[in-house]
Amino acid sequence: MKRVLFFALMAVLASPALSSAGEVGADILKQRCAKCHDLTGPAPQTIRKLWERDAPDLFYAGNKFQREWLVEWLQKPVRIRPAGVNYLRTINSAPTQKKEVEGKNYDVLYGSVLKPLKHLTLKPAQAEDVATALMKLKPLNKNVAGLKLNPSMNVGLDKGEVLFDKVYGCLSCHQIEPGFGGYTGSEVYTAGRRLQPAFMLSYIKRPKEWDPKIWMPNGNVKPDDLQKIVNYLILLSKEDFNAAN
Amino acid sequence: MRPINLLFAVAALMFIATPFANAEEAFLNYKSYCMQCHGMHGKGDGVNVPAMNVRPRDHSDNKYMMTRTNTEIYKAIKFGGPAVNKSIKMPAWGDVLTEEEIHQMVGHIRTLCCEREIIRGVNFK
Repeated sequence: MKRVLFFALMAVLASPALSSAGEVGADILKQRCAKCHDLTGPAPQTIRKLWERDAPDLFYAGNKFQREWLVEWLQKPVRIRPAGVNYLRTINSAPTQKKEVEGKNYDVLYGSVLKPLKHLTLKPAQAEDVATALMKLKPLNKNVAGLKLNPSMNVGLDKGEVLFDKVYGCLSCHQIEPGFGGYTGSEVYTAGRRLQPAFMLSYIKRPKEWDPKIWMPNGNVKPDDLQKIVNYLILLSKEDFNAAN
Repeated sequence: MRPINLLFAVAALMFIATPFANAEEAFLNYKSYCMQCHGMHGKGDGVNVPAMNVRPRDHSDNKYMMTRTNTEIYKAIKFGGPAVNKSIKMPAWGDVLTEEEIHQMVGHIRTLCCEREIIRGVNFK
C-alpha cells in the first residue's frame, strides 16, 4: 500500500499540471528537442558547420513562426522541405542512363526523405506548452524591426505566380502546391500560415541576416514586389489543396 | 634532416597543398549552392530541373563553355543570370559567397568543362 501511495505521489509531482506552462515547454525543448535543433544560436557561420545541421534552427522561433501553426504541427508533424534540411544527404546523382531510354535523367532524392517524416509527436497540452516556450525565443528582433506587411498591395494568384516564377525564379526551389515546384526549398503553400509576415519580408529581402551561409539567394526583390510576394504567399496558404485531389 | 631542408620541404608542401585545399572548398561550395540545379556533376541535371522552364547550363558542355570568358562566369555567379543576358532563374550569389570563393568557383567550373584546355595553358581571360 505504501508503495502504491509513493508512486501515486510521484505521478502527481511529475504531472505538468502542477508546474507553469512555460517551464514545462522549456523542459521538453531542452530534453527532447535540443538534440537535433539548435535552440541557442548563433546560426552556422561556415558551410561545413551548415552541413552538420540535422534539423532547422529554432533559436529564433519566436521571430519566425505563427503560434497556431506550431501547435497544430507539433501534434501532427509533416515534412516541410521535400529534400530535407540537409540535402547533401538526400540527393543522389542522376542514375546512369541506358542507351535505349529516351530523354535526360535528373538527380534524384533518396533515403529518408522518401519516407514520412520521423519526428516527435506531442499531445495537445504539451504542444501548447512547447509553442509558448518557442514563441519566447526572439533574439533577432532587430531583423524584423520596422518591417510591416501592407495588405493593400495585394495581387491575385495569377499575378503572384508570375512574380514568383518568372520575375524572381523562386519556383525553381519552392513548391507552390503539392508536387509543383522545386525540391530543395521549403514548401511555400503553407508559408502564409506557418510564418509571420514580418519574418517573410525580412527573410526574402536578406536571407543572410538569419542564416549566413544558407542556399537561399538574395533575389534583390524590389520593395513593392516584396510586399506583393508576401501577400501572394498569404493568399496561397488559404487555398485548399486537397480539394483538387 | 638539416633544418634548412625541412624549411624547403614545408614550403614546397604548402605550395602543393594550398590549391588542393581551395579546390576542395570550391567543390563543397559547388555542391552546396550550384548542385541543386546544375547537378551533382555539373551536367545541368540537378534535382530541381523538372520544375524549371529554363534548363540550367551544362557545365561539362565543352563546346559552349569555351565561348565564355572567366569574367562572364564570374559575373553570372556574383550578379546572377540577367547580368550576362541570361535567365533570372540563375540567382545572384554575391551575398553568400566571398570574392575569393567566387574566383575559386570559376576555377572549379573550368575544371568541369575545360580540363584539357587548362593543361594546354589556354587563357580564358
